[in-house]
Amino acid sequence: MRRLILAALCGMSTAVCSAGEVATGRWQGTIEIPGGALDVIVDLAQGAPDAWSGSLIAPGLGLKGVPLSEIAIKGDTAAFAMQRGFGRTPDEKAQFDAHVEGDTMSGEFRQAGHSATFALRKIGPAQVEQPPRSTAIAKEIEGRWVGEYELGGYTRHVTITLANRTGAPATAEFVVVGKRTTNLPVDLITQDEGLLRIESEAFGINFEGRFRKESGDIKGTFEQGPVELPLTLRRPG
Amino acid sequence: MKTPMLAAAVLTILACGPCQAQSMFRGDAAHSGAYAGKSPRAFHRVVWKFQTGSRVVSSPVWSDGALYFGSDDGHVYAVDAASGRQRWKHATGGPVAASPAVVGDTVYIGSYDGKFYALNARTGAAKWKFATGGERRFEAKGLHGMQPTTQTIADPYDVFLSSPVVAHGAVYFGSGDGHLYALDAASGELRWKFRTGDVVHASPALANGVLYVGSWDSYLYAVDAASGKEKWRYHGGEDAAIHNQVGFQSSPAVVDGVVYTGCRDSNLYAIDAETGKEKWRFSTGLSWVVSSPAVAGGKVFFATSDSSLYHVVDAATGKPVLQQQGKSFVLSSPAVAGDVVLVGVLNGTLEARDLASGDLLWDFQTDASRRNEGWVLTADRKFNNPMLFRSNWREAPLVASARQDSVGSIYSSPLVMNGVVYFGSADGNVYALD
Repeated sequence: MRRLILAALCGMSTAVCSAGEVATGRWQGTIEIPGGALDVIVDLAQGAPDAWSGSLIAPGLGLKGVPLSEIAIKGDTAAFAMQRGFGRTPDEKAQFDAHVEGDTMSGEFRQAGHSATFALRKIGPAQVEQPPRSTAIAKEIEGRWVGEYELGGYTRHVTITLANRTGAPATAEFVVVGKRTTNLPVDLITQDEGLLRIESEAFGINFEGRFRKESGDIKGTFEQGPVELPLTLRRPG
Repeated sequence: MKTPMLAAAVLTILACGPCQAQSMFRGDAAHSGAYAGKSPRAFHRVVWKFQTGSRVVSSPVWSDGALYFGSDDGHVYAVDAASGRQRWKHATGGPVAASPAVVGDTVYIGSYDGKFYALNARTGAAKWKFATGGERRFEAKGLHGMQPTTQTIADPYDVFLSSPVVAHGAVYFGSGDGHLYALDAASGELRWKFRTGDVVHASPALANGVLYVGSWDSYLYAVDAASGKEKWRYHGGEDAAIHNQVGFQSSPAVVDGVVYTGCRDSNLYAIDAETGKEKWRFSTGLSWVVSSPAVAGGKVFFATSDSSLYHVVDAATGKPVLQQQGKSFVLSSPAVAGDVVLVGVLNGTLEARDLASGDLLWDFQTDASRRNEGWVLTADRKFNNPMLFRSNWREAPLVASARQDSVGSIYSSPLVMNGVVYFGSADGNVYALD
């Protein structure tokens, strides 16, 4: 009955109950994947009109705060995707397409060429977890850096080029040359308390290091998955 | 003698001399992986399937109308090859992840209970059993980057036990206790044992009175079959960081005086059987070569783990002949039968490829692979990583490995006999296809 009343109110006035208000909130339920339902919590929140943010929790997959992307809410439909923090490549992306009715959201979950139904119930206000954002970096570490690390008996050469942008976060180019040249897509670059961190989620590769004034280098570690190797970056030439 | 391959198979049998039968892992004592029978070039039907109580990584062998194999349910089985009906089963104290050798009326096979068994082939009754120093899997701290890196972790991909080879009245096999054993085939008495530096789960190959076997200490050994004395050793790669690129899990094949073996250091090696000198190596990048190579018609056939590539290289030079992209990891050993190469894949698919072109002729998907519970596989049968591997901590990677098996992974090497293809699956079945 409560759902009927809510639906009727929404029908009477969009000012009273906009699509955004209907979709916003914390939603909890299951995705009916064959062989075992997957418990999920979805948080959706609206900032400015058409400025949505969202995140997902799936304890069965060890996921917490996975950012939602491509969020589109129109009338009683909601669509959103999940890739960063979930799959490493575009074809591993997960897509949700839902119908919202009162405090229920149900629809289709698609991933890896499969589809399954899901059903969620609104349980409270949204608690969207914001993903870490890139920051500016110190001027002294801008420019090109080179270094080497060894893995599996082979030496890899690393070139990292750092740049600040006015009014925007810094950028980084991260190139590893072994048997082939790999230009790593950089998802995140931060410098906090002097510690530089560069992340490439698609390859599961990170660099973390600290600039040393006395030697003019960046001493740090190259991380590939659980493997941590020492990597000191220096100016070329 | 119609084809060069048949000629090679006959020569191998002749070279084996005192071997009494060819009912053993990889078809013969030299482990060529080439079978005299012809595989079907098209899939027609499941002739039968035989359900055991657990994963079957053992490769079935055929003798006198029966199939013999082990199961991780702890039993050795004899099944009628025509009907798929059980003739007998023999209980051991642990998973039977080896393939048997059948010579005359005796079945030889090892178990994870650390014992090696000789069973009556007709009844399954034990003739004798021999206790080794005990089985264990390869293990290391921080293995494959599993966390915590300070803790020793057993390798979930160390799935096979060493399969025996029988010749000269002796039975030879490797053990998790790090030894290569030679027992009297009739009595089970120890003739000699040869110590390596780590787990020996590869299966020894025998040619010209010399045994060739790799160990997880990353050495390939040549050992005199009569005396147990080392002739030479060859050092493969090392990986002190995460122990991922180290160790011989692949079983060698010996053809025309050359030992061919894969290695977890991501190389296929060709080693001179007499001197132990490397003739060539073929690098796969960072993908294990766990599969034991098949050698036929001057070519070497093998496949890789992570890159999921099917390779054919020239046996004399190691130069690539062809390469085909598969869908999933291969740890099973390819079998050459007629003009077809059969390859088991961890996604629960058996692939039949054309010998000359490597093109896929047909494939067969196990029931478990079709069910694909939990979306372990993508719709096109690749491992669906976001739904599988979420953490490197504690048991999570081991759970993920077990979930991979839930699609009926095929570790077993296919056997072809009378136009029927037999293989085991992690769904607990042995399948017969034609």
